[in-house]
Amino acid sequence: MFHALVAIKQVPDTTNIRIDPVTGNLVREGVPAIMNPYDAHALAAAVEWKRKLNGRVTVVSMGPNSFITTIREAIELGADRGILVSDRKFAGADTLATSYVLAEVIRAIHEQDPLDLIFFGKQAIDGDTAQVGPGVAVRLDMPIVTYAVAIRAVDLDDATVVVERKTERWTEVVETPLPALLTCEKDIAEIPFAPLPDLIRSLRYEPEVWTMDGPITFDTEMIGVRGSPTIVYQMGTPPLPEPGEKISAREEGIEAALAFTFKKAQEAGVLQTMIGGAQ
Amino acid sequence: MNNERIAFDAIVVGAGLAGSAAAMVMARGGLKVALIERGQKPGGKNYFGGAIYTHAIADLVPDYMDRRPPFERPVTEAGFWFLGKDGLTRMTVQGGELNAQPADAFITLRANFDLWWAEQAQAAGAFLIPKTAVVDFIREDNGQAGAVIGVITDRPQGEVYAPVVIICEGVNNILTQKLGLINRDLEPAQMALAFKKVISLPMETINARFGLADDAHGLAVSVLGDVSLGLPGMGFVYTNKASVSIGLGVMLDTLAEYRLRPYDILQRYLDHPAIAPLIKGGQLLEYGGHLIPEGGYRAMPKLCTDGAMVAGDAAAMVNALHWEGTNMAIIAGKLAGETALEAHSRGDFTAKVMSRYEDRLSEGFILKDLRQYRGFSRFLETHPQFMDVYPNFVNGALGQFFTAYGKPKKELFKGMLGSLTNQRGLAKAAGDMVAMARSVMGW
Repeated sequence: MFHALVAIKQVPDTTNIRIDPVTGNLVREGVPAIMNPYDAHALAAAVEWKRKLNGRVTVVSMGPNSFITTIREAIELGADRGILVSDRKFAGADTLATSYVLAEVIRAIHEQDPLDLIFFGKQAIDGDTAQVGPGVAVRLDMPIVTYAVAIRAVDLDDATVVVERKTERWTEVVETPLPALLTCEKDIAEIPFAPLPDLIRSLRYEPEVWTMDGPITFDTEMIGVRGSPTIVYQMGTPPLPEPGEKISAREEGIEAALAFTFKKAQEAGVLQTMIGGAQ
Repeated sequence: MNNERIAFDAIVVGAGLAGSAAAMVMARGGLKVALIERGQKPGGKNYFGGAIYTHAIADLVPDYMDRRPPFERPVTEAGFWFLGKDGLTRMTVQGGELNAQPADAFITLRANFDLWWAEQAQAAGAFLIPKTAVVDFIREDNGQAGAVIGVITDRPQGEVYAPVVIICEGVNNILTQKLGLINRDLEPAQMALAFKKVISLPMETINARFGLADDAHGLAVSVLGDVSLGLPGMGFVYTNKASVSIGLGVMLDTLAEYRLRPYDILQRYLDHPAIAPLIKGGQLLEYGGHLIPEGGYRAMPKLCTDGAMVAGDAAAMVNALHWEGTNMAIIAGKLAGETALEAHSRGDFTAKVMSRYEDRLSEGFILKDLRQYRGFSRFLETHPQFMDVYPNFVNGALGQFFTAYGKPKKELFKGMLGSLTNQRGLAKAAGDMVAMARSVMGW
């Protein structure tokens, strides 16, 4: 039976976010917490294939207890089982420590109930690193397809998956053996409007909480602040770029506008040679 | 996928003040209650000035102060401000009744308060289903006129069954209409559009500008006069902990008739020389608005039918003059919940038992007040002088009273009176006062 795992993260809704002008920190107060949108689309893809192949979907998240609402949301969207990995000792983890913890959790789940596909969002909208998915794949020694935009086929008998991935220039079609890990773009699947029975089930769902006390063990050197070599030196908002000078070709005439532009470009040293008759 | 019916003992549509109250009462009475809310969270769709009266809260949750309600400040000063063209006369009261502990009213924000209020219903055992809109009813025998036995939501496989449904859908009463409890759409002439800005200021600045001792003191005022361009409407100011809610309500048909944009009127009000200094330097946190059903008693729908009742804004339970509505919603929700309990204990959900809800409403203040104030909804419209002549007169007269002109006082008083009689004859002014009293007293 098909078994997919989706790693999800709760993030502040960055469309609503403000930055404290003094500290440069995100003002989280009053900002709604949502499931990272890329993760939500990845989950939707996992659920789509679960329905096609009559399988099941497990979701995993690492974070404080408040992440339970996001796990419930995953259940609402069609996940069958939700695990929250939560312990104060995990706090302060950077992408290195986070991918270690998630890899250990996924390994344990895989041993218990073998996984075919592991889904990540391509990145989280708060950190934007796109490092945790690849970090987990390397630790699990698993093939990874990043920036996946579509799953063409899953063949459980041959244990292969065919995935389209977006690059800057074209779309690649990749076939890879299962189990494999995908990091997903939003195109991977539309987020469905959940049926009422799924919503009701999610509202009553109590996720499993995995901690340092079990069911698996973690190397204390690899987790939390100790396992995180990243040091945030300073946070801030980049200054807005100065708006460029504008010249209206309609008012000044094309000739004048061009002359002005070339003059500026020359002054800035970006224009080496001039071809044609502009003065 | 299981095909089992989703069934409860009762369904409440809308987790606002009425809905959560109804759910709370029924859950405490041992019913399995589904509280269905279309917003992300309870309160997400709700908005008011505003302050909430505690008598209604205490009625359902006597120990409410121990449950950490998200109040901003108690109302310790209340009254009217009369805004003239460039002046302001304040008539407010503090102390006495307003010193009651806990206060009679608290200033709050609905997004916070309604969430807390729904949590009280959940704590009593009601099952909250958010992010789900009820779009229609399930009727007995699949009929169009049979008793209500459930609701249809906007989700796939979205039917929910229960022998009794309490509709607390808010001002936009589509379901109430669908059920035939009212046979017309919302009328702009019976709707006020209230809109406000929430402007953040340091707590100390608010205390200093509004003359409040500390954040355990709060101001709630109705502002009459040069707020609404002389159109039927009233302004308001509420001090939150570290922000000010300031805005106004204007009848919807007036806005449409004069093609006015709410934010233009609001900005004009906020730029008034007596108002601008109060909010100077503040940062805009929020701008929003909401319809208020101010049609009063005459605009109310039928309140019940077989298997269903209506409470709150959907039933036009608003007393516009006294800014009452939230308290009516809570009490009406409670009474509807009690009626549902009675129906369950009798095993009878027909209109006959549901109409006990109306009896309960008539015994309390809600229907009494709504009947008494039935004439008020059109009063301001027919008496525009309350929006310009009188507020200007009060400002002018007091201004003259406290100015030493070096003239005999008799002349001065004559002039003051003249400033009124020029615009509104004495007999007419007296008539206005009588008319005001009539509309308030329900004569």
